[in-house]
Amino acid sequence: MFAAAALALLVALILLVVRALKGPTVFDRLVAANSIGTEAILLLAVVGFLTGRPEFLDIGITYALLNLIGTLAVLKYFRFGDLSQSGGEEPEN
Amino acid sequence: MEMLIDIASWVLLMAGGIAMVISAVGINRMPDVYTRLHAASVADTLGAGLLISGMILQAGFSLVTAKLLIVLAILFFTGPVAGHALARAALVAGVRPHVTDPDEADDACGGDFFVEAVPHETVRDDVDAITPRPGLAPAGRGSKPTG
Amino acid sequence: MEAVINMVLLTLLVVVTLGVVRLRNLFAVVILGSIYSFLMASVFIVLDAVDVAMTEASVGAGISTVLMLTVLSMTRVEEAKPAHSPLLPLFVASATAAILIYGTWDLPGFGLAQTPVNTHVGAAYLERSIADTGVPNVVTSVLASYRGFDTLGETAVVFTAGIGVLLLLRRGRSRARLKKRQEERT
Repeated sequence: MFAAAALALLVALILLVVRALKGPTVFDRLVAANSIGTEAILLLAVVGFLTGRPEFLDIGITYALLNLIGTLAVLKYFRFGDLSQSGGEEPEN
Repeated sequence: MEMLIDIASWVLLMAGGIAMVISAVGINRMPDVYTRLHAASVADTLGAGLLISGMILQAGFSLVTAKLLIVLAILFFTGPVAGHALARAALVAGVRPHVTDPDEADDACGGDFFVEAVPHETVRDDVDAITPRPGLAPAGRGSKPTG
Repeated sequence: MEAVINMVLLTLLVVVTLGVVRLRNLFAVVILGSIYSFLMASVFIVLDAVDVAMTEASVGAGISTVLMLTVLSMTRVEEAKPAHSPLLPLFVASATAAILIYGTWDLPGFGLAQTPVNTHVGAAYLERSIADTGVPNVVTSVLASYRGFDTLGETAVVFTAGIGVLLLLRRGRSRARLKKRQEERT
């Protein structure tokens, strides 16, 4: 049953990579990248069960947090132009 | 009992897998960023929730279950945050929602949501060329995004 | 099943790499780079190299994305057209790849017991690590227990690097504040 779930995840992964390559906007790519992060976490968990060693889920936790940080960093860049602004500040000019 | 749990986790895992594929298809088929975000949120909440519930049933009461629950909680909270930030950044950067009838959309927003100078149907295709604009104020509902 | 997962993931890696080569917009390249890291980390997971996967995810998808974006805020977004013909670099890269592939022919089979890696201390670690440390993963036991001080040093280095990055990122902000203050004064 985990094999079937893994297959479904792989199909979804392929579709998402297609979107990431097609764009057309940077934000489309980001949506795809964010989803690929989620997919990678779930794939990791499923593969763990598939091989009978589900102990490595800590990495899934790390991935989930990193995925958020990566996405927010890119978005913050688009919002403020660089990463040094804190969220509360209004952009200059 | 064992059998029941197996059947339940089969159902949950299959439903989760189908939700993931549906979400990925949606991300490919939807016309613009905002609707694609809508499709992506299916994967973040429904897909991940179903898949992880299925795995929890298989793991039983153990440390693995605790870890799975933590992963699920993080996904549940970070997915919407990332989605919201994405939509907001896209709006500020000037990506226009794809609408069939712009006037109706203006009415629904209670104001001129779109800038007149820009053709309404423009979903920007050239947005690989979008550069960050530090000068843009946050664009809310009804305010004019200076595109 | 693992073979299928591996094949799909590696194919996707090739596809993403071709996308990176083809695209000229550097944001898109950074985003594709983070996708590449997530895929690569998944490959490592399937190969059971958990610690490498952790490193790949945190360095590749986390830190380098942030660093690349910081660099991008100082340069232009579009990649410049190459000034010279790409033939010479292509030749150098192909030649290097050919030499490396030629080198792999002499490598022993994967996981073979008679290789130097497995005949010296490796076997001893495998035998004794559970009794010595009680850690189920041998790699972890070596990193965190046998080489604990080494890892402590490494952690200190990484911590210092993190502080350095934070300071570099802050510098832009304080400069912006300074400018604002000067404008207020005049």
